[in-house]
Amino acid sequence: MAITLYDFELSGNCYKLRLLMSILGLPYDIVPVDFFPGREHKADWFLRLNAFGQLPVLKDDDLVLSDSGAILAYLAKKYDASGQWFPNDPAITAEILRWHAVADDITSTSSAARLALGYDYAFDIEKSQNGAHRIFRLIDEHLWFGEREGRDWLCSPSHPTTADIACFPYVMLSEEGGISRQDYPALRRWTDRVRRIPGFTVMSGIFPAGPAKVD
Amino acid sequence: MPLSLSDPNWYPIASSEDLPFRHVYQGQLLGRELAVWRADDGNVNVWENRCLHRGVRLSIGINEGQELKCQYHGWRYANQSAGCTYIPAHPADAPARRIENRKYPVKEAYGLIWSSANDEKPFVPFPGAVGEDWFALRPMPVNAAPGDVVAGLARLAPDDQPADLLPGMTVRLGDVVYFVQPIDAGRAVIRGLLPRTPTDELATLRHYNEQLTRLRDRLERAAAKKPAPEPLQPIYEKVSADLATMPDIAVPRGNTLNVVVKRKWQSADGVIGFELADRDGSHLPTFQPGAHIDVHLPNGLVRQYSITNGPGDLLSYVIGVKQESASKGGSKVLVETVREGDVLAISEPRNNFPLRRDATRTVLIAGGIGITPLLSMARFLDKSSLPYELHYFTRNGESVAFKSELDVLHGAVHIHTGLARDAIQGTINQVLGPHQFANHVYICGPGAMLEMVQETASGLGWPDEAVHFEYFQNDKTIDASSAFDIELARSAMTLHVPAGHTILEVMREAGLSVPSSCEQGACGTCLTTVMEGEVDHQDVYLNKSEKASNTCMMTCVSRAKSARLVLDI
Repeated sequence: MAITLYDFELSGNCYKLRLLMSILGLPYDIVPVDFFPGREHKADWFLRLNAFGQLPVLKDDDLVLSDSGAILAYLAKKYDASGQWFPNDPAITAEILRWHAVADDITSTSSAARLALGYDYAFDIEKSQNGAHRIFRLIDEHLWFGEREGRDWLCSPSHPTTADIACFPYVMLSEEGGISRQDYPALRRWTDRVRRIPGFTVMSGIFPAGPAKVD
Repeated sequence: MPLSLSDPNWYPIASSEDLPFRHVYQGQLLGRELAVWRADDGNVNVWENRCLHRGVRLSIGINEGQELKCQYHGWRYANQSAGCTYIPAHPADAPARRIENRKYPVKEAYGLIWSSANDEKPFVPFPGAVGEDWFALRPMPVNAAPGDVVAGLARLAPDDQPADLLPGMTVRLGDVVYFVQPIDAGRAVIRGLLPRTPTDELATLRHYNEQLTRLRDRLERAAAKKPAPEPLQPIYEKVSADLATMPDIAVPRGNTLNVVVKRKWQSADGVIGFELADRDGSHLPTFQPGAHIDVHLPNGLVRQYSITNGPGDLLSYVIGVKQESASKGGSKVLVETVREGDVLAISEPRNNFPLRRDATRTVLIAGGIGITPLLSMARFLDKSSLPYELHYFTRNGESVAFKSELDVLHGAVHIHTGLARDAIQGTINQVLGPHQFANHVYICGPGAMLEMVQETASGLGWPDEAVHFEYFQNDKTIDASSAFDIELARSAMTLHVPAGHTILEVMREAGLSVPSSCEQGACGTCLTTVMEGEVDHQDVYLNKSEKASNTCMMTCVSRAKSARLVLDI
C-alpha cells in the first residue's frame, strides 16, 4: 500500500483527508499542488488525474480517486478496522452521505467567501456569507437538540463519522470568509469535540482545543 | 429607543448550558464582544474578548480549567481576577500581577448567565423570578433591532391576554418570560424561560423553537426592508497603564490588604495550615506559582509565606506554617495566638521563584515545609497537563503536609520519609540524573538540603540557570563590619555605609523608597543592579554564577569589598 495525496496546504478539502488519515494513523506521501496563486490544479498533468480540475486527488497504489467526500468514504471503508467512521448500516450510510452533501454546501458558501476574500476569486461575497449563515443556523439547531438527546455528533452513532470530518474544516475556517460563528454556540461546542478526537491534527487557521476536564 | 453603550441594565448573555467545562463561549452585549468561560470551580468569567497583548480574540483561546490561555502567544489569565499569570516570551520573569484583562459583571441565575455593560446597578431578579424553578428555552438569535424584537414578541400574545412588558427588554407571555439580549443595534437574541421543567422536555423545546423561528423569519424579513441601523461603536478603551504594564521596580512598601483567617488547621505533625480570605468574599490579587506574601504579625514582625494555591484559585490564599520548637517569635505568634476569624495584614503576592512552563522535564524537590511553593507549582503544571515529578522529603509519615492536596495531583508525586542524609543525597542523585536540554529543577527546603541539591546538580552537569531554589531564611552569619560608599546612579546621590548598617537602611534614611521583604538575603525582593565595584555577597538568593557576575546584589545583607559601589538606583 502506498497512498499519495495531491495536496494544497491551505485547502480545507485536502485537510479533510489529512485529518482522517492522521486519526487512522495512515502513512501517506504528499505531492504539493500550487492551487494558489499557481492554479496548478488546472494544469494538463493534473487534469489527467482529475478532469474536473479539483483538489484533492488521492492515489492508492494505482487507484486514482477524487472528491474529498468520496475519498473519506473510501479511506474509512478500506482502512478503518473499527468500522466506525463509515459504518455499513444502510440507514447510517444514508445519514452520512446526507451530511457529506451538506459539507459540499458549506464548501460552496463558506469556502467560497474565504476564496473571495483571501484568494482573489470573483465570487459574490455577500451571497456566499448569507448562504453559510443559513447552513450554520440549521447545523446549530441540529447539534443543540442533539446535545439534548445525548447525541454529540452530526449523525446518530455515539461516535464521530466521516460526516463530522467532512463538515468541520470550512466551519472552522469560516471567519477567514468573514462569517462569524458567534450566533452558533452548539456548533462551536461541536468544534471543540472534533478537535479532541484522538489523532486530531491542525492546519493553518485551525487551532487545537485544550484537553477536556479529567475528573 | 436607541441602544446606549452605557445602558446599566443586566441582560442574559448565555444559557448556563452554553458553558460546559473547558469551553470558551463567544458572546456580545451592546456592541461589545465577550469571552465567557466557566472555570473548573464553577465560576463564570465574562471578559472583554481580546488578549491584552496583541488583541486576538480570547474566545478562540484555551480554557485550561482555572486559567484561559490565549491562542496566539500563550499569555495566561487567571479565573476570577483576569490577571495575567504567565508570559511565555519571558518565562524566567514573573509577569506583573497587575496586568489584568477587562472584566464585566456576571451573575448565574435561573438557568441563564447575566451581565451588564458596567457596574452601576447591582443584579436584581426580574419580577416574579423568585420561587420558580426556571427552565431555559433554546436561544434564538435574530438579525433585527432589539426594540423591534421586543415588539414582535409582544405581538405573539393572544388578544384576550396581552403581553406584559417588563423593564429591561423583557416580555411576559402568560407563563413564559422572554428576555431580549441587545447584541448590537441590528442584532438580538431571544432568551425564553419557562417557570418549570416541562414533562416532555424535547417536545416542548421543539414547540417553542418552531414558534421563535417563525417569529425570527418574520422579524428578519421586516428588518431587510428597512435601512440597516448603524452598529454601536464601543470604544475599546486602553486598559489603564497601571493594569497593562509591568509595575515599577520600586514597589511601594507597606501596601497591604487585610484578610481574615477563614480556617486554621493542623495539616501535619508540625505544620499548621492557614486559609486567608478577603473580608468581603471577593477575590484576592493574582499570583504566580512560587509567589509569597508578607504576613504582618500581631507582634510587629513581618514574615514571608509561600502561597500553595493552584491556578485561578483566588478566593483565599492557603499558606503552611512550621510549628517550630525553638521559633524566634515569627511562626510562633502565628501558630499560637492567631485564631480563625482574626484579621491580618498581608502584602500583595510577590514572586522571586518563577516557574518556567517551557521545560521538557520539571523536577520539584521539597524538604519539610519547603513543600508550600512547590505544591503551587505542581498544581499549575498539573492543570496545564505538563509533565513534572515532585519529590517531597519529610522526617516521617506524620509530617507530610497537604496530603489530600497532593493525592489529587496527576503527576508523579514521590514522598520520601525518614531518609538519612546520605540516602537523601543518593535519591537526589538518582532523581536528577545527567542534565539534558530544557530540564529544570526547583528546590525549597532547609539550607543544608538546598546546598546538597545544588552541589549534586552541579556535579551532574546541571547549569546554574536550570537550578532554581528558594531558601526559607538565611542561616549565614552576616559580617557587617565593612564600611564603604555607595553611589546611586539614577538618584545622583553618594552615601556612606558605616559598619553595622545595611545599604538598605542607609538608602531609606536618605529618604529613598526601595522595596524589600525578608531583609535577611533570602527572598530576592531588594535585588539591585550593580554598575561598578566589587560586591561582598552574603545572601542565599543569588546563585553562584549570578554572584560571580558581579552585576547584581541584595542590598539588605550584602556589602562591598571595594571602597565604592555604583548602584542602578
